[in-house]
Amino acid sequence: MGTILVFLAGILFLAGILFIKPRAKQDLKWKTVVNWVLYVLWYAITGIGISFIYINSSVGHVKATSTAIFLFLGLSLVIAIILARLLGFLGKTRKEINPSIKA
Amino acid sequence: MVRFSDGEGSQQDQKFRMNRRKFLKAGAASALTAGMVGAMKALPAEAAEAAANATGVQNGAKSKLHPTADYGGAGVKFVEHNDQWLGTTKIVGNIKNIHEGDTGFSQANRGKYGPDAQKGYYHYHFVMKHPFNGAIASFALSLAPDFMVSGIPSPQKLRIPDPEQMSQHIKDCAYFLRADEVGIGKMPPYAYYSHKAPSQDDLIKDDLSNSVPVTERLPYVIVVMIDQHLETMLASTGYDGISAAQSMRSYHTTGVISVILANYIRNLGYNARAHHFTNYAAVMAPCIMAAGLGELSRTGDCVAHPRLGFRHKVAAVTTDLPLVPDKPIDFGLLDFCRVCGKCADNCPSGAITHDKDMVEYNGYLRWNSNFQKCTEFRVTNKDGSSCGRCMKVCPWDSKEQSWFHTAGTWIGSKGEASSRLLKQIDDMFGYGDEQIEKYKWWLEWPERYGLPTN
Ligand code: SF4
Ligand code: SF4
Repeated sequence: MGTILVFLAGILFLAGILFIKPRAKQDLKWKTVVNWVLYVLWYAITGIGISFIYINSSVGHVKATSTAIFLFLGLSLVIAIILARLLGFLGKTRKEINPSIKA
Repeated sequence: MVRFSDGEGSQQDQKFRMNRRKFLKAGAASALTAGMVGAMKALPAEAAEAAANATGVQNGAKSKLHPTADYGGAGVKFVEHNDQWLGTTKIVGNIKNIHEGDTGFSQANRGKYGPDAQKGYYHYHFVMKHPFNGAIASFALSLAPDFMVSGIPSPQKLRIPDPEQMSQHIKDCAYFLRADEVGIGKMPPYAYYSHKAPSQDDLIKDDLSNSVPVTERLPYVIVVMIDQHLETMLASTGYDGISAAQSMRSYHTTGVISVILANYIRNLGYNARAHHFTNYAAVMAPCIMAAGLGELSRTGDCVAHPRLGFRHKVAAVTTDLPLVPDKPIDFGLLDFCRVCGKCADNCPSGAITHDKDMVEYNGYLRWNSNFQKCTEFRVTNKDGSSCGRCMKVCPWDSKEQSWFHTAGTWIGSKGEASSRLLKQIDDMFGYGDEQIEKYKWWLEWPERYGLPTN
């Protein structure tokens, strides 16, 4: 079970990299670095959160589970929104990312 | 009509799509990681042992059954045992051997803590009042007679390996007999009682004239430790019906192991005496510290282990069998206790001090907790049988082992600032003072929890 989860986590991490790679590269280097740092941070917080919530809820730590949902998933959501905005998934018109629509 | 397969849009779209080759590459990378993890598990025995030897922490002789010490993630330093220190406990004067009749429960039995405490303690009423707890304690009492704990060694000394191998073997014997932790220490001479207390019937008359002097002085002490059961503690208030059973669970099992170990050592031709809950000739706390199994906590007399906290009980065997002692350990508990105080906040009798600093007591430094209040509460508790609430809430033992608690324990062992942080996190997540109902497996008989009427 543990090995399958490590495998899945690895697959998802790499899939995420391949998914955002074309959008992560920016004209300014620091912007590219910010994108990747945010991605790694988001992945780590989400992964830690899911694991923490799973273990605590299976043992029965009610307050730890609810606090962790609030804390980790909240943070994960905030970072995901920022990242999506920086990568252009949110808040940009289709026109900007796909000028061929005009054709 | 816009066709997304045409022009720039199509290229962009293709970039965003993960193609099959890339997906397979990603899969291969993950599989490689997973494969390495799997391969590590499937290493040949010698290679696995070599890997364990290279990375694991070890104190004293290495057991074959538990080759690395499990400190639950805490950063542990090995420290000295000399005239000034017993592990992290500072010795500031001459530590006098104490009389067993002066310990908390004996004082209760002698009537020094009032008639209620005397009634509550007499013939272990505070344990026996719960039928299950009484059943375990009655068994533990069968280990009490002197012929169980001591005896004359076999006249023929058997050939034994060198002290290091012998220590390894003794640790393995204890693990085989189901100990959770084992340590070997240099026996501190002041850990022996000056006298064994007389019978309960003499004690109740406050008559110590039949006390028996303890003359034994053997060089080594083997300490065996058993967990008091996490799930039960998670479900308990810490002072309900099951509380004494948790102690008895560990007392009777460590008692059995110590009696067998002492017997075995005597069969080899060496002196050995078992010390357990129903027949001690020594105080256990200094033995635990000497054997590298813990540090003295804020409670003043409970010794916490880095992985088990003080959710344990121990028994010991003193012996002259040639052994290699382990070193006492320092995992930062003193710094942690200084900023934590969770046990003091939660103690129902207010017995545990909130002081920041320790005080001198019988020649050593410890926190100034009030054993009279604790004993009174435990023997007269009308909500259950005895008490272990301080153990239940302590961050060192209030939760299961998992990667983040291991990380937390590591943080907590790194000084006052990190201890404060960990204590705040512990409170924020509600560990310690929660009750997890799904583990409540025992029965309660509140009608039996009062004091005896005669
Ligand atoms: S056993 Fe109970 S009464 Fe005694 S110190 Fe611990 S919490 Fe307090
Ligand atoms: S609860 Fe806190 S203060 Fe009390 S023994 Fe445990 S770590 Fe020390």
